[in-house]
Amino acid sequence: MEEQINSKQPNQFLIPVAILIAGLFVAGALYFSGTGSGPAPVVNNGNNQPVAQAPEPTGSTDAVRLVGETDHIKGNPDAPIKIVEYSDFECPFCKRFHDTMNEVMDKYGDSGEVAWVFRQFPLEQLHPVKAQLAAVASECAAELGGNDAFWSFTDGYFADPSTGNNRTNQDVLIPELAAAAGLDSAQFSECLESGRHDERIAADSQNAIETGGRGTPWSVMIGPDGTTYPINGAQPLAAIEQLISIAQNTQ
Amino acid sequence: MKYALVLLTVFKQPFYLLLTVLLSIVVFTVAVWLPSFQLISIVSQTASLSELLSLLWSLYGAIGSNFSTTSATYTIMIAVLFGMNASLLTYYIRRMRTGSPNVKGVGVTGIGGLVSGVFGIGCAACGTFIFTSVLALFGVGGILAYLPFGGEEFGFLGVALLVYSVYSLTKKITDPLVCPI
Repeated sequence: MEEQINSKQPNQFLIPVAILIAGLFVAGALYFSGTGSGPAPVVNNGNNQPVAQAPEPTGSTDAVRLVGETDHIKGNPDAPIKIVEYSDFECPFCKRFHDTMNEVMDKYGDSGEVAWVFRQFPLEQLHPVKAQLAAVASECAAELGGNDAFWSFTDGYFADPSTGNNRTNQDVLIPELAAAAGLDSAQFSECLESGRHDERIAADSQNAIETGGRGTPWSVMIGPDGTTYPINGAQPLAAIEQLISIAQNTQ
Repeated sequence: MKYALVLLTVFKQPFYLLLTVLLSIVVFTVAVWLPSFQLISIVSQTASLSELLSLLWSLYGAIGSNFSTTSATYTIMIAVLFGMNASLLTYYIRRMRTGSPNVKGVGVTGIGGLVSGVFGIGCAACGTFIFTSVLALFGVGGILAYLPFGGEEFGFLGVALLVYSVYSLTKKITDPLVCPI
């Protein structure tokens, strides 16, 4: 009888041990998803080949590159609050967040309180070829038509219901958007094939990784006092508004 | 039918109903806030309590904006099933306290369901599944490209294991209390 009781002993510890192991798994998963110690995404160098040494993500939003004249900015460039978004044209969540950011700018843009800075972060592993091509096309729009043409192209691309998930018919859409932005088609085609914007796109992507971005959309909000806030994914409008309010109050 | 009666018997009791609801809310909250833990940490250092609470509340909206319909569905299912699973397990262990509980199978299945679910949940925004990080830890991150649902498979697996665990626990509860020969 005593032997039988002893033989049951391991079962008494099975559940606690299993819960402990599960807890370790969960803690590990949270750690690796939250500290920026995970993998560096594959950054595209323009030839659809991974860059040899993408920097390890540091998770520090303070590494965000200073907003400058070369950036694509919607709203007041000197706004006290800047939201720097790193985006992938083929990511469906970027499409959602693009709508959210347009709503943010409708509310805070005219008063000059908030500026939206758009940077490139095409994810080659998830959206091969097409994300990079759309990024290049948007840069060509900016080169040939300025900031207005860039936003006309970008807003048009994300607004089109057929875009995203690498299923976009770019042969049709990109020329259409270029024409709608008033760009010369010959110059636009030459720009697309030139490869001269690849370096800039790679630099944007590397800066996204340096700030802790490991997916898209990834954004860093810079407050009036220089505090940086990470915005991971397509967070809802209410959360962005609340974050703007918090940043305004920390002046 | 008898399984449904068992579920009704357990969840009619306020303690088990409350335990299920609380655990479901905890799991759901962790899943929805997971991508924003770093943000919450920063804001908690500077903002007032009311501002922080408003932000936390607003982040629940991420279930609609930061998850696909599929991932939102299985995230909610995992949260509810995990709560049910834990309550049934508690009920079973309490009832068998004086007997000789053998919960090895159901316990492991339930834990397996949770772990699998955790790998599948999290921010569904492009490239940020928890599983992506875990795979990359072992140097096989590229395998995601070959999965038809890009990692969401583990959410489905989590739901399946938790459903099986709930079924197994319910079945165990209906078993008569007998001493093994």
